[in-house]
Amino acid sequence: MREGPNVNSAGTAIRPRTEAAPSGALDETELLERVKARDVDAFERLYRIYQPRLARFLINLLKRPQLVEEVLDDTMMVVWQTADSFRGTSKLSTWVFAIAYRKALKAKARWPDPIEDQAEDTRVSNDPAPDAELERSRVHDALVGAMTDLSAEQRAVVDLTYFHGLGYREIAEILSCPVDTVKTRMFHARRRLKQALSGTLADWL
Amino acid sequence: MPNQIDFEAKPHHDAEELLPWYATGQLQGDELALVEQHLASCAHCRRQVAFERHMIDEFAQLTPEVDNGWARLKRRLEAPQPLQVQQRSQARQSWWDKVVSDCAELLQSVTRPAVAALAAAQVAFVAIAGTLIYSLSQPSYQALGSAPAPQSANVIAMFRADTTESQLNEILRTNGASLVGGPTSADAYLLRVPAVSREKTLAKLRADKHVLMAQPIDGKTS
Repeated sequence: MREGPNVNSAGTAIRPRTEAAPSGALDETELLERVKARDVDAFERLYRIYQPRLARFLINLLKRPQLVEEVLDDTMMVVWQTADSFRGTSKLSTWVFAIAYRKALKAKARWPDPIEDQAEDTRVSNDPAPDAELERSRVHDALVGAMTDLSAEQRAVVDLTYFHGLGYREIAEILSCPVDTVKTRMFHARRRLKQALSGTLADWL
Repeated sequence: MPNQIDFEAKPHHDAEELLPWYATGQLQGDELALVEQHLASCAHCRRQVAFERHMIDEFAQLTPEVDNGWARLKRRLEAPQPLQVQQRSQARQSWWDKVVSDCAELLQSVTRPAVAALAAAQVAFVAIAGTLIYSLSQPSYQALGSAPAPQSANVIAMFRADTTESQLNEILRTNGASLVGGPTSADAYLLRVPAVSREKTLAKLRADKHVLMAQPIDGKTS
């Protein structure tokens, strides 16, 4: 299903990103022009492009599915209502994610993270499993637990970098903070991720 | 020592900070050159790049929506006590509801004069059969933590369709009756009336213009 990896000048394999391809980006700009002209069908197409990416981004920040739905809807309502104000100085995705991030922080202030037995999700199951599968599941559980321990700001940077494949300048725009802050957050966050995974990633450490 | 890396040195720190975006292919120009040049001489950062690539793979497979959903569902699975009690009482109620509804469907024919006589005979039979089945449905033990045993009904009644809730409440109140169950699918209600005055209460209920029928259901005569 995946495309073959691209290779940059250093011979570094680059995974295909979740970012829209250049042709997709053109489509989005076109869609937004139609949204500005109050075209609901175009807005639905835009919603369908952004819904999965925003849902993923927001669940990492908010932890409450009901709140994710609310913030996602609010975000897309702002896109609909203020489409005219998008001047194209940044990418459309940067603008949409920035709205979602601000809305998420406001919602978080109203509804702090649910208090849970966080360790519960990171405990390793005692069920017998093949070695490889067990190792996979250990890494997965450790990562889920480690992400929970990060601050919301750190989670946002980590997820936007590793999953959404965004550059640090774009992340700085979304989070409305200096680029050095993004680098510092990432630096500390991955140090903590590395610590959390230290028992599972012998090959990488 | 020529190979010693000074982790506090600015070039090392600058390059190391950029490694996540180097691994995702987001660096260009001077920044890409800086990192590549540094990697050539820093084994620590080369290992770090391997870690970054591993993280990218892991995050591609992370599904926080599913993980959160599963954690939520698992918490429900791990709280079995209240769920079991609820299931047991629901099962009993719906089973009994069915018996009552079967009774009531037959009793409904009372409103049609042509079959009234036949229905009267059926009512007598159903009342006895219902009693037998109901007694069998009673739990023979009282589990710790289970809900109090429901008060058993001794009258089944049906009301005219245009009876309001407040009228129904008034009828129950004036007859000292309490609601045990219903409405069933046939709109019948199970009532508990004082055993000692049941015959009188039944007569009063039958005389009420809102009551279509009122029958004893536990087969006892008081």
